[in-house]
Amino acid sequence: MTDSDPLVRFSGVRKTYGTFEAVKHLDLDIGRGEFVAIMGPSGCGKTTTLRMLAGLEEPTAGEITIDGRVMNEVSAHDRDTPLVWQSLALFPFLNVKENVEFGLRMRGVPKADRHGRAMLWLERLGLKGFETRRIDQLSGGQRQRVALARSLVTEPRMLLLDEPLSALDAHLVIRMQGVLTRLQKELGITFVYVTHSQSEAFAMADRVVIMGHGEIAQIGRPQEIFRAPRNRFVAEFVGRNNILPGDKPGHELVVAADRMQVSASDPGEGALAAEFLSEEFAGTGIICYFEGPEGVELKAQVTEDQLDDLSPEPGQRFWLNWAPGAAHVMAGI
Amino acid sequence: MSKRFEAYPYVWRLPLLIWQGLFFVGPLILMVAMSFWLVRNYRMEPDFVLKNWDRMLGRDYFWNAYWVTLWRATLAGVLASLIAFPASYALAFRVSETTRRWAIFFLIVPFFTSYLVRVYAWQVLLAESGPINAVLGFGGLGPFTMLNSGFGAMVGYMTLVLPLVVILQTFSLAAIDRNLIEAAWNLGASPRETLFQVILPAARIGLILGATFAFILSFGDFVSPFYLGGSKPPTLSILIIDTTKSGQQWPRAAVVAIMMIATLFVAAFAAVGAAYGRRK
Repeated sequence: MTDSDPLVRFSGVRKTYGTFEAVKHLDLDIGRGEFVAIMGPSGCGKTTTLRMLAGLEEPTAGEITIDGRVMNEVSAHDRDTPLVWQSLALFPFLNVKENVEFGLRMRGVPKADRHGRAMLWLERLGLKGFETRRIDQLSGGQRQRVALARSLVTEPRMLLLDEPLSALDAHLVIRMQGVLTRLQKELGITFVYVTHSQSEAFAMADRVVIMGHGEIAQIGRPQEIFRAPRNRFVAEFVGRNNILPGDKPGHELVVAADRMQVSASDPGEGALAAEFLSEEFAGTGIICYFEGPEGVELKAQVTEDQLDDLSPEPGQRFWLNWAPGAAHVMAGI
Repeated sequence: MSKRFEAYPYVWRLPLLIWQGLFFVGPLILMVAMSFWLVRNYRMEPDFVLKNWDRMLGRDYFWNAYWVTLWRATLAGVLASLIAFPASYALAFRVSETTRRWAIFFLIVPFFTSYLVRVYAWQVLLAESGPINAVLGFGGLGPFTMLNSGFGAMVGYMTLVLPLVVILQTFSLAAIDRNLIEAAWNLGASPRETLFQVILPAARIGLILGATFAFILSFGDFVSPFYLGGSKPPTLSILIIDTTKSGQQWPRAAVVAIMMIATLFVAAFAAVGAAYGRRK
C-alpha cells in the first residue's frame, strides 16, 4: 500500500431492503487525510453508505475495501471506523470519562493507559473538569465534544460522522464546524461526513459527493458543485441557482443567484424581463424572487443598498441579465 | 395581595390520599394496634401487652418460616429473571413489532384464568402418577416426588410471576435506544461485551423491577406453598392462616403480617434504590 492509494474504495456497491434500493450502484474512492462530505436529500442513500462503511449494514452486492482489505465479511466491532451519531448515542449510564474510555476498554487497553489517553482527549476538546459529570448534566455542545473524544481516543485512521450537528443551535453549528475542520487538519485523518446541509458540507469538506436516489449525482470540490452542477438534480439541490433553457436542444444554463444582475430598465443584450415576487434576507445578502418568461422562477442575490435603490414592489417589472462567463452549460440531460 | 389558596393540585391528589388512607394506612394502624391486644376465651380484647411479639419472635418456628419464605422469594426473583431473560431478549431484539405485540398479548392471557386453577393443574401434572412422571418413566427415570416440596412451590411461583417478569423485561429491553447498541459495536464491543456493558445497564430499571415484583408476589403468596409446597416447612402466609385458625390468635397473626410488610418495605426500597440510584 502506498500513500497515494485510496483509504476507502466502494466498488459496485449495492444495498437493497426487500424491493427498496437504498443504494443502487456506488463507485467511490476516499483518500487518506481527506475530508469528504456525502450530501443529499433524505432517502438518497447517504446514511446507508456510511453505515456500510462502519459495518452496521452489509452490502447486497459489490465490495468495500479499507486499505486494500475487503471489509464485507468483517463485523462492525472488528473495524476501526468510529462513528459519531446524529443522536450522539452517548451511554447515559456512564460518566463523561467512562464514555470516552469505552473504546479503549473494549480493546483491552490497561487502566492507567486508558486514563491517560482519555484525559488527554478531554483536555484537547475543552472538557477538562467534566470527567465525572453525567451525560444529562452536559450542554448540547459539550455532549458533541464528548462524542468526538469517545470516537477519536482510539486514534482511528478515519472518523465517520452522521449529521452530527443537526441537533445543535445555529451559533453552535458554526463553532463546531471550526472544531471539526481544525481537528481534521491537526490529526491528518480521513473524515467522512454525511449531511443534508449544504452550508456544512461546503464550509468543511475538501470534496463533496452529492447523492440522489441511491446513486452519485456529482463529485467535486464545493466550488465546482456550486458553479458547475452536472445535472438538474444537483443544480436544484444546491439551490440559489437559476436553471434556464440553453441555446441548443437538451442544453440548460445554470446561473447562480449572486451572478444575476437586476436592472430597473432594459439593458438589452438578451436580458430577461421578470416580475418581482418577493425578497428573502439570507444573511450574506438578499435573495429576490422573480417570475420570468413562461412562469419560470428566477432568483437574484442583491446587497441591501441595491435593494434600497431598486425598492421593488410586487408585480413590478425588472430585467435580469448576467455576464457571458457567469452561465454554466449543462448538456445532455 | 394575599396568596390565593391553590385548590386545583390538591383536588387531583385527594382521591389517592383517600384511597391510601382508607385501604392502607388505616388497616395498617389497626393491625399494629391489634398486635398488642389480648385474646381471652377466643375473643380479642384491646390491651397493650408485648406478649404476642414475645411469643412469636421468641420462637424458632417463626424464624424458620421467615427464612424459608425469604429464601424462596429471593430464589424466585433470581430464577424468574434468569428464565425470562432469553425470552425477553428475543422478543425485544429478534422479532418484528407485530410478533412482539402478539407475544405480549399471550403473556397476559394466563391472567384471565384464576391462579388457583392453574396451580390445581400443576397438582395433576406433577403428581407421582401424573403425566410428567409417566413420560419420564418411558425413559427409565423416576418417578420423582415433585409435589409437596420446595420444587413444587417454585413451579407455582414461576406460574405466578414469569409472564409479568417477561413483560417488564421485554418493555425495558425494547425501549433501549438501538444507537447505543450499535455505538457499542462501533467502539469494538463484541456481542457478549455489548450485552454486559451496554444492554444490561441500559435496561437496569426494568430488570430490577421485574425481579422485585417476582420477589414481592412470591413472598406473600399462599397458594403455591400450600397446594404445591405441602406447607412443610410453612411459609409466613401459611403461618398466618394457621395462627388465626388455631385459637383465633389474630394478634399473633398481626405480628407475622407486620414482619412481612416491614421486610417487603426494606426489599422494595433497596430495589428502587438500586434501580434508580445514581452510581458513585
